[in-house]
Formats: sequence, structure tokens, C-alpha cells
Amino acid sequence: MDEFEFSRSVTVGQYVPGTSFIHRMDARAKILAFMIIIAAVITTPSYIGNAIAFAAVLALVRLSGLPIGYLISGIRPILPILVVYTIFNFLFLGNYDPTGSAVLFRTPVSLGPWQFAFTVTDNSMRQTVQGVFRIFDLILLGSLLTLTTPITALSKAIEGLLAPFRRLKVPGHEIAMIIAIAYRFMPTVAEELERLMKAQASRGADFGRPGRLQFIQRTRQLVPVTVPLFVSAFRRAEDLIVAMESRCYVGGAGRSAVALDRFTSLEWIALAVSLVFTIALSRTPFPL
Amino acid sequence: MATTTRPGAMSDDMGLMPQNRTVRTVVVSGVLAAIQLALGFTGIGFIPLPTGVNATILHIPAILAGVMEGPIAGAAVGFIFGLFSFLRATTPLFQNPIIAFGPRILIGVVAFLVYRALRPLNEVVALLAAGVLGTLTNTALVLGLAVLLTGPNGAPYLPADVAWTVAGTNGIPEAIVGGIITLAVGLAVRGAGRARKSTV
Repeated sequence: MDEFEFSRSVTVGQYVPGTSFIHRMDARAKILAFMIIIAAVITTPSYIGNAIAFAAVLALVRLSGLPIGYLISGIRPILPILVVYTIFNFLFLGNYDPTGSAVLFRTPVSLGPWQFAFTVTDNSMRQTVQGVFRIFDLILLGSLLTLTTPITALSKAIEGLLAPFRRLKVPGHEIAMIIAIAYRFMPTVAEELERLMKAQASRGADFGRPGRLQFIQRTRQLVPVTVPLFVSAFRRAEDLIVAMESRCYVGGAGRSAVALDRFTSLEWIALAVSLVFTIALSRTPFPL
Repeated sequence: MATTTRPGAMSDDMGLMPQNRTVRTVVVSGVLAAIQLALGFTGIGFIPLPTGVNATILHIPAILAGVMEGPIAGAAVGFIFGLFSFLRATTPLFQNPIIAFGPRILIGVVAFLVYRALRPLNEVVALLAAGVLGTLTNTALVLGLAVLLTGPNGAPYLPADVAWTVAGTNGIPEAIVGGIITLAVGLAVRGAGRARKSTV
């Protein structure tokens, strides 16, 4: 029954208490610092730059005191997709290389009526390797943020960061509330999904991972599971609306906080370090 | 948002309880976004195709949010879809924030407009069309931007002929699944909404 264990892959993103400085940092500063580092990760074009960015992300994980295996376990469900995609990219991306970079490797293949070639160029190799680095960087950073920040702090921080845009009619409180509800309901939905799939399986549906060629079968399996999932979610939403309204929830208007958090030196230093890191990474001309 | 343009007014049918629009939009968006994230994290929402590129059903919550709750909810759920695909991008394509977010925000908005335009005609047709066109918005804009925008290495993310192939292999099955699920859920929720509003 291993294929029905969904709750585990969803709870991976949920808060794990800790005492590291990443845990203690103000969530607003944490989000900003992570966004700055993400900018570094997605813009650096060189191999060395990517390796340095990856090392920096690993260092952050180490500093947070969380086991890296736990962070990576969130990637497990998409790992097969990732592997297949990377292999395809590696072999075929070079066929569509308009930059005219040097061809490193080329083998024509003929498979019955199909003629094609495996081509690896300097540019396609770079894109493939970077792609893998970036996936790990982004997943580690994303998990690190949610694992070290309780959801209340996270949604308050999003609201705080969006507050300056209130004048432009950006509903910061509402956006934060949507994210908080989504985050809170994710495990519930995963449990429901598990229940629905078990119900279908007990009536003879076969969810054992069908291969790539049986995609029609796979699609047909999804319909009897997703439709009740949505319907029950709408019902749950109705319950939550009634619950919130009967407690006189009116959104963020006129609401104030008990504790006003100010940035301490920890937050300013973290922001400065990530900014310097990003600028240094983008300005350094790496040889590779 | 004006009251008369809201399509998903399940609780207004009887007019028993005046409901705060914001609360409704926020809650429905949040719950639909939760489904989207759960389908994404568990990998259930991806359908592996023989071509090596995966079809997805993760855009369907955004369509339903647009159809049931209006353009704001649709845009909000689409934004979270964008966030998800940006943070777990397995391709350089979605590592570009413009491609990850822009088209996704518009999925629910287009679905809402289509649904509102066609509903006076026929509910079934409107739901089906909203599902199909909402999906095609995603396909067309993502692939369109992939051809137009320049990737990290100075070349477009996809050449035009590859984009057309992906549109055929992924876009068409996704549009069919999107239409079917939107129709089924739309009719079911409509029915369930009338019979029973809340279990509390």
C-alpha cells in the first residue's frame, strides 16, 4: 500500500521547531533574503557560479540544523520526472541550439521510420547542468523557508511585506490569508485524496503506476478521484466560511497587531550578506 | 466585484444569509489552492506522456476558482500555481518568473469570462468551454512566451516547431481533461450547493 502514502510527501513542508538563527530571524527579512538568493541562483550563467550558489544553499541548510535528507525527501514524488527530463534534455536539447555553440557530441540514430540524432553542444550541456542545480537550489530554499517558519509568522510576514502596496489596492491581508488556508488544508486534502484512491482501489481500480504508454488509462483514473475531491473541498469551504463569519471575521481592515516587530541587527546583517553575495556572484566573470 | 456578475453564488440562492464577498473569495481560493498544492506535491497531478513531457491537471483548481468564485479568486489560485511551478521548476522554462506566473494568473480570469459569457446560453456548454479555454490559455501563453522570450543562454526557450508539437501532445489532452473535470465538478457543486450549504 506504499503508493497511497501521500500524507508524508505533503507534511514535509511543514514547520519543524528549532533554535538556529534562521529559525529566529524575522520572517519578513527571511523572505526577502531568500528572494535575493533566488535571484542569484536563477541568473548566474556559469558552472562555477552555479556550484558556488549550490554550496551557499547547502551552507544555509547546514546552519539551520535540519537534516538535509529530510529536506530532499519532498522531491521524491517528482524524481522520476526529473530524471527522465534531464536525460531527454541532455540528449536532444543540442538539436535545437540556435546559438551555434560548439558541438561536443553527435550521434545519428535511426529507429525504423524515425531519423533523429543525439546532440550535445556546449550550450545545451550548460543548460542541462544548470537546470539540475537550480531545481535543487530552489527546492532546498523553498523547503528551508517553510520548515523554519511557522505558518502564522509566514502569513503575517507576507502581509507585512505587501503592506506598502495597499495604496495600489493590493489586498495583502487577503493574499496572506489565502496562502495560510492553502497551507493549512494541504495535509487534509492529501488525506482525503488517499481515502478516495483507497475507496476506488477497493472497488477494483488499479493505481499501480502505469507506464508512460498507458497515459489514457492514467487520465481516466484521475477523474473519479479528483471530482469528489473538489466537491468535498467546496463543502469544506462552505463550513469554513460559516465558521469565519460567525466569528465576525471581516478581513484585514482596521486590524492591528499586539507585538510590533522591528528588525534587529541579525535581520539587517542577513539581508546585507545575501545582497552582497548576489551582487558578487553576478559581477564575477567566472572562466567556466 | 459587482453582486450581479458573481457566478458562484451558491448561498445567495435562498438569500438566507448575507455573506461577506471577501471571506468567500479568500476561503474558496485557499481551499482550491490547497488541492492544487496537494496534487502537485504528491505527483498525482502529473500525467506522464510517452513524449517525456508531462501533462498536468494542476491548472484545473484555477479554472474552477474562476468559474465558481470570479476573476479575483481565479487569479489568486493561478498565482499559487505559478509559485509552485516556479519553486519546483524542472525546466529552465519555468525558472523564468514571467513564464511561471503570468500565464497562470490569467487561466482563472479567462475561465471566468468564458463562463460568464456562455452561461445564459447553456450551463453545460459554459462549463465545458471554460474548462477547455482556461486550459488553452495556459498552454498558449506558456508556449508563446517560451518562443518569444530569450532564455538564460541567449536563445529562445523553445523553437517554434517544438512549441507546436508540445501544444499538440500536451495541450490537447490537457484541454480535454480540463473540460471534463470542470464540467463534472461544476455540475456536482452546483447540485450539492443547493441541497446542503454547510455541515456546521
